[in-house]
Amino acid sequence: MTNVKVLETPVRWHRILLPANPTAKPADLDAALKAGAWAAFTRAVGDMSAAAIVGAVARSGLRGRGSAGFPTGEKWRACALAKSDRRYVVVNAYQSDPAVLSDRVLLETNPYAVLEGAAIAAFTVGASEIIVAVRAEATDAIRVMEEAIAASEQRGFLGAEILGKKLEITASVKPLAGSYMLGEETVLLKGIEGRRGQPEQQPPHPATRGLFGKPTLVHHPQTFAAIPTIIADGPGGFAAIGSKASPGTVLVQLSGSVAQPGIAEVPLGTPLREIVDLAGGILSPHTLKALLVGGPSGGILPAEAIGTAYEYDALDKAGAHIGSGSIVVVDERSCVVDLAAVLTRFCADEACGKTIPCRIGLRRMAEIGARFCDGQPRGDEITRLTDLSADIVASRLCDHERRSTLPLLSVVRYFRDELDAHIVRNTCPAGVCQSLARPRAGAV
Amino acid sequence: MNYVPGLGIAKGMALTLRRFFAPKATIQYPETAPDQAVRFRGRLQLLYDELGNVKCETCFQCAQACPVECIDMGGHDTKNRFYTHWGPAETYAERREESALRRSGRPVPDPEYIHFDPIDMVAAEEILEARDYDPRPMVGLLEEIQRAYGYLPVAVIKHVSHVTGAPYALVYGTATYYRHLRFEKPGRTVAVCRCTGCLIAGGGRIAKDLAAALHTEIGQSPAGKVALEELPAHIPGAASPLVTLNGKPQPNVTAAGAAAWGRSLAGKTVA
Repeated sequence: MTNVKVLETPVRWHRILLPANPTAKPADLDAALKAGAWAAFTRAVGDMSAAAIVGAVARSGLRGRGSAGFPTGEKWRACALAKSDRRYVVVNAYQSDPAVLSDRVLLETNPYAVLEGAAIAAFTVGASEIIVAVRAEATDAIRVMEEAIAASEQRGFLGAEILGKKLEITASVKPLAGSYMLGEETVLLKGIEGRRGQPEQQPPHPATRGLFGKPTLVHHPQTFAAIPTIIADGPGGFAAIGSKASPGTVLVQLSGSVAQPGIAEVPLGTPLREIVDLAGGILSPHTLKALLVGGPSGGILPAEAIGTAYEYDALDKAGAHIGSGSIVVVDERSCVVDLAAVLTRFCADEACGKTIPCRIGLRRMAEIGARFCDGQPRGDEITRLTDLSADIVASRLCDHERRSTLPLLSVVRYFRDELDAHIVRNTCPAGVCQSLARPRAGAV
Repeated sequence: MNYVPGLGIAKGMALTLRRFFAPKATIQYPETAPDQAVRFRGRLQLLYDELGNVKCETCFQCAQACPVECIDMGGHDTKNRFYTHWGPAETYAERREESALRRSGRPVPDPEYIHFDPIDMVAAEEILEARDYDPRPMVGLLEEIQRAYGYLPVAVIKHVSHVTGAPYALVYGTATYYRHLRFEKPGRTVAVCRCTGCLIAGGGRIAKDLAAALHTEIGQSPAGKVALEELPAHIPGAASPLVTLNGKPQPNVTAAGAAAWGRSLAGKTVA
């Protein structure tokens, strides 16, 4: 089992994704059935029409948890309306961010919620195959998921004849490895097909033309895990959790300079301050300098932005995104310019190379960042940086290059003093950038 | 005698005069698109950057995209490891055979061809047969071959392309894209974690220092030297910054000491 702590959350916060009392055998179907697993699926298949389910999901306001926040109901409608003889449902549990393990923990502790959500989706859009794409390194998650699928097939929740009806939904686990970009949905579909993983122009979205050219519903496992709750408790109950524009809960991984790193399930719209407090606050005796929200391609928010609500629109406005669901707390020992430069370098290295703005633009951005840290900026680098990132965002193919401009852009936006210290005064206030002088004590 | 003095010039002038009175064909490109054959694709040309280096990095994307498979690539690959020179099987079949020089049994002076030493194809053939020579699930096929050989010998990739009919560019492009597929026998490998936590703890500088000390770059594994790789994910529970040697975490490697550690590793390999 993945060695990561699940943090305690206030009692008033809803637990939808992670079980309140994790069991030693998460794939034990009898125990799961007692806890209510597959009840929503039975109800959906027995009493509800596909249109009613899509309507319920749309009314619940659920948005895709894979960073873009696309309304789930619309995606289902598009997939159900696309004409085809075959459809697929893909659970995108690849989780490319190397530091984040929340999806692995979700699959390991609550496999039936994900599976049931995917099965409801498959029934609704008329798909006959569910593919759970998992990182090949996540061996425990793969094992638990395979056990859960086998047990469900035995009881007739999955398979050729479901609940005594003429309905076929099969499920399988697909381990994938070898590329950061596999987290992007069109790349993931290429990976499942066994091809070189490069994103495709959208539209056509995968919902109308996806895996093997057939309509494919691709969702994050946290999206699927919320579906049984929506069906069981009704869309109104779900819409009341979290913020109005983006209801529900998400998994957040807290790391960096905190007293107690770990994973927590938080309602969307919670201020960042409350989320950081779950991890015991900043590690003493240090002070909070910045928050890296969204993983390697996330935005670096200043300490003053700690009141920002953790939800799609507020984060977007602040120059960050939910991304991989990671919040890294940065203290005064780190240099944000250096951090942004190495993050951009990482994103540039992970680019698949299909489009020029991404392959060359991100590399040039990483080089500009490296010049800041080496104290060798060329004239008006900041204008060049902002121009370049505007071009990259405007001519992007997938979300990777759009998000990858965020680290350096957020430093330009929020940490201008520290950036100017590097450019104008050739000093690194944090003393991290080795080729620059550390400012004398007391110097500005 | 059909020589008429002045006929040649008259013919020439007649053409000139005809053209002179014909409607002018100046096309206001790019406002007006010229009338071209449906399959016209322009001229293939390699572009150079401002420093005079050829911009092509042999990524094989144009060869993969070419509908008539007329593009043939030659040059060192992006990671500067192999000299590759194959187009599609039908067009360049002769290049799939070893050269006459090589068949003669004499030592080949060109070190580029060392990688293509004969390899026992039995294991690869078994895998291919079990998959009915279907090249479409390419990643799974390459993974199985890597499991059998420990790495992907170039000769086997060539063989896969030859017998399945998939263009070499497609097989090679897929194999280089996925990082867990490798072209060398696994040797000593240093892996650096570049997750956000490790980057804050100095992982970026460690990667830079190690690359300099080992005279390599992330993703490269030159023969006989220490390979430098990137960990696909942080090992749960391991401390940051995380550096592994042959899969074992090295907790003593810090941002300050990475360069010295790298140099000591590189030194041991030479000795």
